Amino acid sequence: MTSELQQLYNDRLGRYQAAIALETTDRVPTAFATTYFAEKQSGYTYQQIMYDLQIWEDMEVTFAKKYPEVDLFRTNLSWSPSWDITNHQLWRVPGRDISPTSLQQFNEQEWMKADEYRQFIDDPIGYRMDVYLPRILGEYQDRGSVRSYMAFLKAGMSRSVYGAAAMKRITRLEKECGIPQGTAGMFGAPFDILSDTYRGFNGIMRDMFRQPDAVLEACEHILQQQLSTSWQMADPLKRYPIFIATHKPCFMSPKQFDKFYWPTFYKGVKTLIDAGWKFRIFLEGDWGAHWHHMAEFPKGTVLCDIDNEADIFAAKESFGFQQCITGGIPTDMLILGNPEEIRARVKLLCETVGKDGGWIPNGGGHIPEDTKPENFRALLDAVLEYGKYSDNPAPQPTVGTPGTNGVVFPEQGIVTPWDVIKKENNWKIPGDEELIKSWWERLDKMAYGWVCGQ
Amino acid sequence: MTNLAEALRDLNEDLVNELVEEKLANGVNPIDIIKECNEGIVAVGELFASGHYYLTELMFSAEIMQVVMEKLEPMIAKSSAAEQTIGTFVIGTVSGDIHDIGKNIVVNLLRSHGFKVIDLGVDVPVEKFVEIVRESGTKVLGLSALLNSTYPEMKNVIEALTEAGLRDQVKIIIGGTITSETVREFTGADAFATEALTGVKYAKSVYGK
Repeated sequence: MTSELQQLYNDRLGRYQAAIALETTDRVPTAFATTYFAEKQSGYTYQQIMYDLQIWEDMEVTFAKKYPEVDLFRTNLSWSPSWDITNHQLWRVPGRDISPTSLQQFNEQEWMKADEYRQFIDDPIGYRMDVYLPRILGEYQDRGSVRSYMAFLKAGMSRSVYGAAAMKRITRLEKECGIPQGTAGMFGAPFDILSDTYRGFNGIMRDMFRQPDAVLEACEHILQQQLSTSWQMADPLKRYPIFIATHKPCFMSPKQFDKFYWPTFYKGVKTLIDAGWKFRIFLEGDWGAHWHHMAEFPKGTVLCDIDNEADIFAAKESFGFQQCITGGIPTDMLILGNPEEIRARVKLLCETVGKDGGWIPNGGGHIPEDTKPENFRALLDAVLEYGKYSDNPAPQPTVGTPGTNGVVFPEQGIVTPWDVIKKENNWKIPGDEELIKSWWERLDKMAYGWVCGQ
Repeated sequence: MTNLAEALRDLNEDLVNELVEEKLANGVNPIDIIKECNEGIVAVGELFASGHYYLTELMFSAEIMQVVMEKLEPMIAKSSAAEQTIGTFVIGTVSGDIHDIGKNIVVNLLRSHGFKVIDLGVDVPVEKFVEIVRESGTKVLGLSALLNSTYPEMKNVIEALTEAGLRDQVKIIIGGTITSETVREFTGADAFATEALTGVKYAKSVYGK
């Protein structure tokens, strides 16, 4: 990487980090979350991008080079073969189930039945393997068949294929374009996970009225699982925030939110903050009734993407003194409006919610694919024109303290602990047992995490 | 307000079911029971409109009502059941989008308010909308979507209805949080709704209720 690109990377990351921390920056960052606009602009279909890892990589690099004013952006796609391998029922795949030009879409159903909470909580791995996975993985319906074994094997192998490709893509963005990551790692709100992937919206809605205690207990159970894995997927240098996409709060009453959603969400996020990480959280829908809670987190620790139907000015007033927010450019303006409207909107936002920092321009959590190119150009130009805070250079990035600041995370689940197989085989272990045990258990825990993460 | 209407308004599902049983045992006409329940449903709508209830509460009221209707409907003669219907509402998520949470909420609410709903499901092609609007003679069509990439598709449906000569018979409402006055104008729809009850109210106004 040339020193020029290194400087660009440092300026972009430093500006982004400072904005999140509500510290002084040189200008409003152009740090977009999901940017479907980049995919559409490439001329490739979603299918091509999501199957061909080289196209995906080139698409991002080309976009970064085409728009050097963009500090960073995020791709919200997955590698489709990882769904094909198991015939995953939770996703509709571009080019396979739906049009090649359509985004992947989530198939939310009542995959877990109302009377299965007890088993879900008491026997996490057994419930998944015997009940849940056969429902959501087509290739696992015929359990014990050669195909079902092959599906699991392929799923494991595909992770290393995708992991290497993702690393290559990230490295190219950094080295060739000076682009830092916008987020690294994921955390899921326990209530959202329960609702999205297990009970479905109608199921969870009934459960909140009919079996509230079961919902609470399940959320607590999911929280422990989330905490056991999410810190290990986060950036060890703590430069990039952990991403969370929230889904259901916009449907909930404050009473329901305070009871079912917030306690485990808060505990999870706060634990990771205590361990030294920050967050970028997409507040899907209108969070207006709940977002004052964001002020409960330490100042400058959670960057919140405000959605299209929520009021960015109200968000600023409610908790903007404590956390940085993004958004404010209406979806329909990006898609159907004109550059003059965009320019005026960005000017207004710079002069109000972005006046003293703490704001990053964005659509409703993302830049829509059908955004007119001239509108995106106008957005960038307007930020550079109206979003300047000072002539000082951009603040420089920081890295966090290694480790977890003394925070102890829950142990990951394990199916076969080392001692079990050791005893079964009467192994005496003439060598270094710890070497053998650590890899045995580490891989078992990774597999456990995969099973519980489907 | 009767105790049954109140129980429904308060979302007390067990009590609603108990009272319905009790009334049936006392020989109360199922149609009168439904009328009482409707009063509760209207009250829930008012609480929602005034910000006291949220979407999940609105939905659960429809859920309670659905259970009541499943019990009562078989007891009502077909002709009088038809009399209870306000009108027909055709709805579907447009092609390119498979999301149905929003649509299903509207469908449940419409049914709890007495509409006959023809639910075409998700990813519905243009021709299907045209065919069903023609066959059903509905006065209202709802186009639902979550993805903002569907604006052109909504427009396609409306243009196809115009070409088929059906545009004058049907009012079209687009629904979803991605809709707005700008999007309504772009698509050529008659109305838009970003939350479910607006859609129900619009449908009632079309049928003069």
